[in-house]
Formats: sequence, C-alpha cells, structure tokens
Amino acid sequence: MLTHHVVAELVANVGVISLAVGDTVAADDTVMLLESMKMEIPVLAEVAGVITAIPVTQGDAVYEGDVLVDIQPA
Amino acid sequence: MTSLAENSAITPVTTTTSTTRTSEAAPVLDPRDVEARLGLLLDTGSLTPLVERDDSGVWAVRGTIEGAPVVAFCTDALKMGGAMGNDGCRHIVVAIEAAMTDGIPVVGLWHSGGARLAEGVLALDAVGLVFAAMVRASGKIPQISVVLGPAAGGAAYGPALTDIVIMSENGRVFVTGPDVVRSVTGENVDMQSLGGSDTHGRRSGVVHVTTETDEDAIQQARDLTALLALQGGFADVADEAEIDLRALMPDNPKRAYPVAPIVGSLLDTGSLRELQARWAPNVLTGLGRLAGRTVGVVANNPLRLGGCLDSPSAEKASRFVRMCDAFGVPLVVLVDVPGYLPGVGQEWDGVVRRGAKLLHAFAEAVVPRVTLVTRKAYGGAYIAMNAKSLGATAVYAWPDAEVAVMGASAAVGILHRRKLAAAEPGEREALHAQLAAEHEKIAGGVARAIELGVVDELIEPTQTRRRIVGALAAAAPARGQHGNIPL
Repeated sequence: MLTHHVVAELVANVGVISLAVGDTVAADDTVMLLESMKMEIPVLAEVAGVITAIPVTQGDAVYEGDVLVDIQPA
Repeated sequence: MTSLAENSAITPVTTTTSTTRTSEAAPVLDPRDVEARLGLLLDTGSLTPLVERDDSGVWAVRGTIEGAPVVAFCTDALKMGGAMGNDGCRHIVVAIEAAMTDGIPVVGLWHSGGARLAEGVLALDAVGLVFAAMVRASGKIPQISVVLGPAAGGAAYGPALTDIVIMSENGRVFVTGPDVVRSVTGENVDMQSLGGSDTHGRRSGVVHVTTETDEDAIQQARDLTALLALQGGFADVADEAEIDLRALMPDNPKRAYPVAPIVGSLLDTGSLRELQARWAPNVLTGLGRLAGRTVGVVANNPLRLGGCLDSPSAEKASRFVRMCDAFGVPLVVLVDVPGYLPGVGQEWDGVVRRGAKLLHAFAEAVVPRVTLVTRKAYGGAYIAMNAKSLGATAVYAWPDAEVAVMGASAAVGILHRRKLAAAEPGEREALHAQLAAEHEKIAGGVARAIELGVVDELIEPTQTRRRIVGALAAAAPARGQHGNIPL
C-alpha cells in the first residue's frame, strides 16, 4: 500500500508532537497538535498503520497542504 | 448527456439478496426490482400503485413511512439500466405533483444511466420536465433521493435538485462517465473515484448521507422522511434529569474537541442524523429530535480547522438553514468559533460570496432559532452563527463564554502595537496581559454582550436542554415561503 500523507489543513505552528517514527497508530489517534487561530487542533492519523516519517518539529510554521506525518497503512 | 448509454451498460450488480418478500408463495424478486426496492422503503403492506407498472423504466406509488403518507418512485434498473424516457419521466412528474397536491414528501430511488438515447431530444425534454417539477416542489414538500446504482447525466441532476441525497456504496453520480472523461481530458479514473459515495460524501458535498448497503440507504431515507413529515411537538422536559454538557468539553479552553457528542447529548438519545458529515466537517449540520420535536442543528466543530468557518462550511450551513426554514423545522445553533479562516485560498475561493449566503439564510429564516455560545464567538463568524442582530429568537451563553470582535490578547496586540513595541522586552508580556485585562473590561467579555442585549442570558450548562426547549416551544411556529435551491 502507498504511504499515506497526513497534511496540514490550515496555516499553523507545530505544537507538541506526541508520537514518533516507528509508532503504531490507529485511525483517529492524535499524532501532534497544531496551534492556529488561538486553538490547539489535533492532527489525527487518518489511517491505521506505522508512522514512517514526521518531517516537522515543534515550533515549525506549516502551510496548508504541508505533509505532517507519513503513515504506512497496516 | 450523450454519454449515458455506455454508463447504463456497466451497471454494477448489487449482490445482496432481497429480504423484502419472504412469504413462500411470492416469487423472490431481484433486489434491483422496483417493487423490491419500494417495498423496503415503505411500511409493510402500504404500497399502492400511483401509475401502472409498464415498460417506461419508472414506477410511482403511494405508501406510508412510519405511518406518514408519502409518494415514492423508483427508476427500473432492470429496464435499459433505468434509462429515462418520455413515459418514465412523466410518471415522475405525476408523482411529484401528487405529493404536492397532498403536501406530503416524495422519495425517489435512483438507478439510471440517464436519458434514453433512442428517444433523442424527446427524452431530454422529458428529463427537463422532471427538473422543472422538482423546482416547483422545492421548499413546499420534502424531496428525498436515494442513489442505489449509477445516476448519470440527467439522472445525476434529479437527486441533486432535491433536499437530501442518500447514497449507498453501489451509487455512482456523475455528469459524464469515465470513458468520456478519458477521451476528452485524458484523465484515467474509475467510476468509484469519479462519482462514488466517498467522492461525493467527502470531496464534492453532493451527497448528504453515505451508507455501505442499499438496505441501510433506504432505512436512512425512512428516518429522514419521518423527521420531516412527522415533526411532533415539544414535550415538557421540566422533570428530566440534568445533563452537564460542559463535562463533554475539554477543560483547556484552547483545546479542540468533536462537537458531535455534545449535539448527541443535547438531542434525544440516538436521534441525530448528521447531513454532509464528512464534507466541510468544521461545521456540523443535522436533523434530530429535541424533547420529541424535529429540530435542525448547526454547530461549529472545533476538531476540524479549530471550528473556523470557511467557504465550504458556510455554504453547507446556509443550505441546511434554508431547508429547515422551508419545512418549518426550528433551529438550534451551537457556537464555538474562533473566526473565519484567513488565507489567500479562502478569499480566492469566494469566502465573501459564500459566507454571505449564511448571513442571508439566517436573516431570512422565520422558524424559531436559538443560539448558544458555549465557549467563544469572535468577529464576523459571531454574526454569521445566528447572532441576535440577524433575528435569533434567543441567544444564550454559558457563563465562561467569550463574545468579542477578537480575543482580548490579539485585540490589544493591534490596538496598542506602538505602546507594546516601546516597552522593555522584559516587561512587554506583563504589559500585554494588563492591557488585555483592561480591554476585556471595556470592550469584551460576555457581560458587555448581555448589557447590550446581544446575548439574552447566561445559562448553566446543566440547564441547556431545558432552556433551549423552553425558548423554541414559546416561539410562534413559522415556515419560510421559499424554495430550497441547492446552494
């Protein structure tokens, strides 16, 4: 199966990243928080699988469409 | 629409077996048979023909759903793939007109490759007559569509003109099929990606409800028809046990959360039917029952985009508000909105034009409509979410809610930019906090909103259900006199 890219839905700063590369996730698990519009918005794993990359770190500014997490679907 | 014959030739076969006619004597019907499908939709034994069954490709009948009289029609997948010809289209027009005469819902079950090619312009003309009848009925009677197979070309716009579109996993809606797309644009796409339930449920917003099975799709149509046809009245909830809806929200005021569980707890248990749940999910729209009566709910969903309004969500909510108004369904509006989503993409996507639809929809609505600010209501989005100024029946807020042009901290960042810049770096934060507190006292906070009368009252979260029922029940029932254009 192709790697699933979870992308930012809006312009934001990356907040706390709670999972790491190699972690197994279920769909809708929270991977990290984005801070935008005075809100902390969870980034959810959209599919179940294993995290293969997190190309951002806490404090990064991300734009709509930027990849936040790569997941190899289970 | 010239592409439609190919589409009807590749009708996917429904593999489930019919469970509608189980008596020993009756022959087992093909599950795609019009009688089998209409039998599933209508209360057992209630089906009576409205027109003769013939070779037109459409059958129209009368029956009941949970006892409420309805008219229903079904395109006949077993006759030329449900292709629509002159005679079939006229049956649909008869069905819609009969429902209009009686003021009852009309439900259409769709499985059709589009217009009958052999009939040429005659078929096109007849399909146009169906559209015209649907538009005449728009906003007068509930029109519900269930797509159980391909609905291509003309058959795509049939459901699209109605109030609620439900689609099973077997449904496919598109204007031109994969072959035409490939030959014209070179894009390689299968029917499912082009117009399947995932596409229309998540990307296009064409479909309001998606289901895995045909049976489920038809059951959803029954539930939604009953919600619109049998609206009931508000029961007395004074003696009900209290529910603390605030407990369903995170303690941290900045933390996002899904709003659906809060809406689910506000409404009668299990009654919420979300519409367009996966499209523009930053706003929730849905029908349900509140103390027994059908209501419509519009709620910001902070889990997605922080609950910001944006171009698609404003459009989604405005169409829903107009539908509820047209059918006399009172509205409950739950507000927790940080604002409109900023960005070039949004502006270029017409957030001003599409956001204006929501202002128009609420300001025009005559049904009782109550707003509750749970956490915050900022800026233009505050107005758009059924503010007092747009004619809300009542606006309530929970005690720690914020109502403002923007958050106090952000506001003083702009108002006192120079003063803050001039401060010593070590003292800047303290000054910012102090200015924010002063600003809050003068301009913001829910206290000022109450003073101005734009929020009527602070209510305890445990009293939410009781107070909203009270306000809606006390308001004079009304129904908007307008169509429900598919915005």
